[in-house]
Amino acid sequence: MKQVFIIATKEFKAAFKDKVFLVITALFLLLSIISVYIGSSTRNAEMKAYQDIVEILESQGATNFPLSPEIFPLAILQNIIKYVSIIGAVLAVFLGFDAFSGERENGTLKLLLVRPLYRDQLVTGKLLGAGLVIGVLLAITLIFNTLLFSLVSGILPNLNELSRLMVFIIMAFIYMMIFYIATLFVSIKTGDRAFGFLTMMVVWILVSFVIPQLADSQRSFAYALNATNQTVTQIPSDTVISKGIEIFSPAVQFQNVGKDLLQGVSETATMNVFEILSRQALSLLYILVPGVILLFASYRAVQKEDVL
Amino acid sequence: MIVTEKLTKIYGTFKAIDDLNLTVKEGAIFGFLGHNGAGKTTTFSMLTTLLLPTSGKVSIAGLDIVKDNLKVRGLLGYLPESVMLYGDLTAAENLRFFGKLSEVEKVDVRIDEVLGLLGLIGWKDKKVKTFSKGMRQRIGIAQALLHKPKILFLDEPTSGLDPQGTKEMRDLLLKLNTEWGTTIFMNTHLLSEVTKVCTDIGIISHGRLLLADSISNIERRFPEAKSLEEIYFNIEGGQF
Repeated sequence: MKQVFIIATKEFKAAFKDKVFLVITALFLLLSIISVYIGSSTRNAEMKAYQDIVEILESQGATNFPLSPEIFPLAILQNIIKYVSIIGAVLAVFLGFDAFSGERENGTLKLLLVRPLYRDQLVTGKLLGAGLVIGVLLAITLIFNTLLFSLVSGILPNLNELSRLMVFIIMAFIYMMIFYIATLFVSIKTGDRAFGFLTMMVVWILVSFVIPQLADSQRSFAYALNATNQTVTQIPSDTVISKGIEIFSPAVQFQNVGKDLLQGVSETATMNVFEILSRQALSLLYILVPGVILLFASYRAVQKEDVL
Repeated sequence: MIVTEKLTKIYGTFKAIDDLNLTVKEGAIFGFLGHNGAGKTTTFSMLTTLLLPTSGKVSIAGLDIVKDNLKVRGLLGYLPESVMLYGDLTAAENLRFFGKLSEVEKVDVRIDEVLGLLGLIGWKDKKVKTFSKGMRQRIGIAQALLHKPKILFLDEPTSGLDPQGTKEMRDLLLKLNTEWGTTIFMNTHLLSEVTKVCTDIGIISHGRLLLADSISNIERRFPEAKSLEEIYFNIEGGQF
């Protein structure tokens, strides 16, 4: 275990010495601030519009007013879901793309493998190091956003909101680690770090943009068919096919869970965390399954002789 | 120190190493010679526990390299042909990392000792990416020496070095062998270096060991040959 911690510590320090990684991290934090700002501005605008309408109605002598828009405090942070699913994934790819191929190109992989450590300890050390980096980053994001949330909304988050935020950060951690594990696997299997990076960028584009777009297109197609046939459902909504397509995108699954946790969906906005997690059990499964498979594959791949 | 018995490595249908029987004595500087693709690197990789043999046995200091691989790794130091280490880390940071992995006690004291021996103490806190090829090679040796290995495996240790760097490396190997008693096993194809440094040699071709003996014995066995180079080419060409 000592060997694992030595490798993890080195990975952790190396990440925070890397300028490109620091730039992406800064961008990530900046976007989280912007997301709070945009979220709060949107909510303020909604409230202002409502108050304006009420004032106009009052001046006209009305006694019945429209219902006040439902404001869920955590919804202020909602934009962060997109930033984690897109920038967070890139950050994880950046952390892992040369985890093995870089060691191989440098000639340090052989130096590591002639030390008294098992190959799986090397993988575990890399995973732990990346986990620490991602964990620290998300912890900073959590603290930052909780403070911003309190400053902007003027209220302290209650226990339910805090637990939602915590679980969201844990979900973000799992989601980013899955991208890291996928990148680690590619890095073990490929001899060229540039090729590994490009491969993961293609995967990122597929799961973050292409698959969601395909699912959206399918929904629109189903909507057009319904409109033409003048059947009852004329609102673009999930279909079995669109849901089936989205299974292959951890980004979409993460966004689904994230929206529920950060009160982006009114029907789940008052549920407790456990109810949300059981409601989103399938999404969680779709996120975890590829990660577990790739983790297992990484441990197997590193035992093979061609890893050198 | 090193004993191989019927060591064989097969990749698919290709037999890279064929029934290799080799003994390297403790305290020897063993030069392992062969043309490109002869099987030097495969043998080297098996001896350093990086590859598993398909069949046969290897023991280092009496330990089986498969069953006791972690213990064997504690006994060996290894320098690959072109070592880069972690360019963004300083020499000391690189050595501390590898030293800790090798469970070196009082690692910082040991780093100073090794860097002192290699004449690199002034470069301790400089990033490795700023080092010349010769200096990187010496830092490579330093990481291999940190845990006081009984045997040092060097893959083409003078490859790419200028004449001054080559001489310094040669002197260093002799010093390590005579003063520290380190057994050295080196892959090389530079016959001129072999004659200046090695006490024993082995010649491999197409995965088969053609000859392994001390240089003095070899010279006695082939009195008509004018040089080791002539012996090497004649053995490789099947004329001896």
